[in-house]
Amino acid sequence: MTQAPAPATPPSPTPATLREPAHQVSPRAVGFWRVAALIPSVVLALLLAAGYVAWWLSAGTPPWWATALGVLGLVALAAYPVVMPPVRYRVHRWEVTDTAVHTRSGWVTISSRIAPLSRVQTVDSRQGALMRMFRLASLTVTTASAAGPITIDCLDAEQARELVATLTAITGASEGDAT
Amino acid sequence: MSPDEGLPLDPDAGGWQRLDPRNLLLDPVKTLGQFLVPALIAFVGLSSRRDDGMPSWMLPLLVLGAVAFGVLPWLTTSWRVTDTQFQKRSGLLSRTTSTAPLDRVRSVDLESSLLHRVLGLAKVQIGTGVDDDRITLDAISQERAGELRALLLARRQGVAPLPEAVDGESVVAVPPPAPETPLAAIDWSWLRFAPFSLARLVLLAGFVGLLAQFADDLPFLDQEHLSSGWRWATSFAIWLVVLIVLVVGLLGWVVVAVTGYVVQWWDMRLTRGQGSLHLTAGLFTTRSISVEETRVRGVEMREPLLLRAVGGGELSTLATGVGSEGVTRILPPCPREVCVSVGDEVLAEPGRLTAPLAPHGPAARRRSHVREARGALVLAALAVLPVVLADVSWLGWWLPALVLVAGLPVGAAIAEASYRHLGHSLVADPGTASHLVVGHAEAARVRTVLEADGIIGWVVTETWFQRRVGLADLVATTAAGAEKVVVRDVPRDRAIGLADAATPGVLSAWTT
Repeated sequence: MTQAPAPATPPSPTPATLREPAHQVSPRAVGFWRVAALIPSVVLALLLAAGYVAWWLSAGTPPWWATALGVLGLVALAAYPVVMPPVRYRVHRWEVTDTAVHTRSGWVTISSRIAPLSRVQTVDSRQGALMRMFRLASLTVTTASAAGPITIDCLDAEQARELVATLTAITGASEGDAT
Repeated sequence: MSPDEGLPLDPDAGGWQRLDPRNLLLDPVKTLGQFLVPALIAFVGLSSRRDDGMPSWMLPLLVLGAVAFGVLPWLTTSWRVTDTQFQKRSGLLSRTTSTAPLDRVRSVDLESSLLHRVLGLAKVQIGTGVDDDRITLDAISQERAGELRALLLARRQGVAPLPEAVDGESVVAVPPPAPETPLAAIDWSWLRFAPFSLARLVLLAGFVGLLAQFADDLPFLDQEHLSSGWRWATSFAIWLVVLIVLVVGLLGWVVVAVTGYVVQWWDMRLTRGQGSLHLTAGLFTTRSISVEETRVRGVEMREPLLLRAVGGGELSTLATGVGSEGVTRILPPCPREVCVSVGDEVLAEPGRLTAPLAPHGPAARRRSHVREARGALVLAALAVLPVVLADVSWLGWWLPALVLVAGLPVGAAIAEASYRHLGHSLVADPGTASHLVVGHAEAARVRTVLEADGIIGWVVTETWFQRRVGLADLVATTAAGAEKVVVRDVPRDRAIGLADAATPGVLSAWTT
């Protein structure tokens, strides 16, 4: 079997950089994320404290390493709602053009997601009870791939409604089954 | 139910037709088969324990019940093909009608178990790709099944009217089967790859597990026999015992693997025709799978560790809307060259599976090494546990040390091998479809070729560690196959460049 002679250097596209999306989400998102993170933190901290007290009552004073671990856990639980929301807010950005949607999200691990609007299948918005108190809403755009949903978290509720209308109008105009 | 909707295959009123009458034989036998073991156990078991066990007049009753169960589906199921839809009605009390629009039919698979084949029947499964549910006809005659498939595949092909379909009723003989181009057929010299493919090991493990369940009941498997057996065994040299066990195990494995290969891939033929790929194979149960070619977005060649050592590989197609996974194996373990040439045929563009890949650079190599070293450290840490917990004094601290000393070099070797196969390429010759080619290797060396047109989005993920060294994981999302293709640990700027080149225009608003 003769193959076509392989090129000496494998073809690799020219490197490029990706500009960050233009818009930030609503500043109220910081408050929402903080409250949403505080709830599990408080519950876990209470459980930790209860476990420690139970140990104390049943088996006497816990050894120093258990105390140290407990304190470390408490510090982490307290730090999470303080540190995470502003970082997440700074990272989370979005932009919709006539042809594509682009978001960036995360805080320790950051992912950028881009999908052409011609391949978008559904546009959903979601608003939980806590989100409603902050007048926020999330918007999710799905494609035919399970790996490809794109979420813009914590938009201003009014803005989210408008964006859903815009996206629905754009994606409704494209043809084909988007696979 | 107007008469003009009638299926050309059958002149019945409304075109509704039953399953094949031979089901009256098939279904009771199948039902009996399902009932037989529990029924026999109940019968024998009960009557041997007590005299007044299951009365013997129950037996004919059971048989009668099974027959009734078998007849019901035949009486209640009917199907037809209209001009626009395939329809199936079934159910006794609650009638269900399943329909598939003809232009949505993505796959028509035929399957015949040994029993089906004795009776000349085939089970037909029709997939629409919209959801995972497939419409099943179990069973119609093999000729009718072949006709139905040809008809459905021909109708599906398009809005363009088929010459045969133009004048309604005269289509009795269905479009003449288009000449099929053979792509591959089984070559029994491939049997040499069977023992090196470990997929069947799972089956073997299941079998051993089953045996273990019964082992408790075996009379000779108790403490006393076991320990006397052990003493008997250790009276020989221990290494001889180990050697014999190894040889017997190996021979058993070879027999199981070869038998499985023969049973699964007997008379394997891969052909192309009517816009589909057709795969037929099987010694006892013959399967006939079709994949619409316009749905095939790429191929994947896997070379698992052992198979790779002997120059073998496996090939799958990545298609949209085929079952739940979309990854369909179209070749048995076979020589790598066969995989490559069949892959080229399927893609219709040569050289994709052998295209040189751009390596990901020193940072990716370091990450590969760190990952494997971390694995070795974790293993060593786990090896500490038995020492601490169970006080295995004769092993002592040697065990974790040994794991570490052996694990680190092995890990480094694996890391180096994985890095060597890590790479990506965008093959875009003018005038042909461009393909994203991705290679990676852990236990198996995998090369994925995805049509750039099948990419419906991008995800660039960077962990904290990756950001520090400028790497990213680039994920091409797609509706085909496993729904994503990952380019791992690629320098971020090159990831963006690759994505931009593969899907021109999508990223252009943000690239600089």
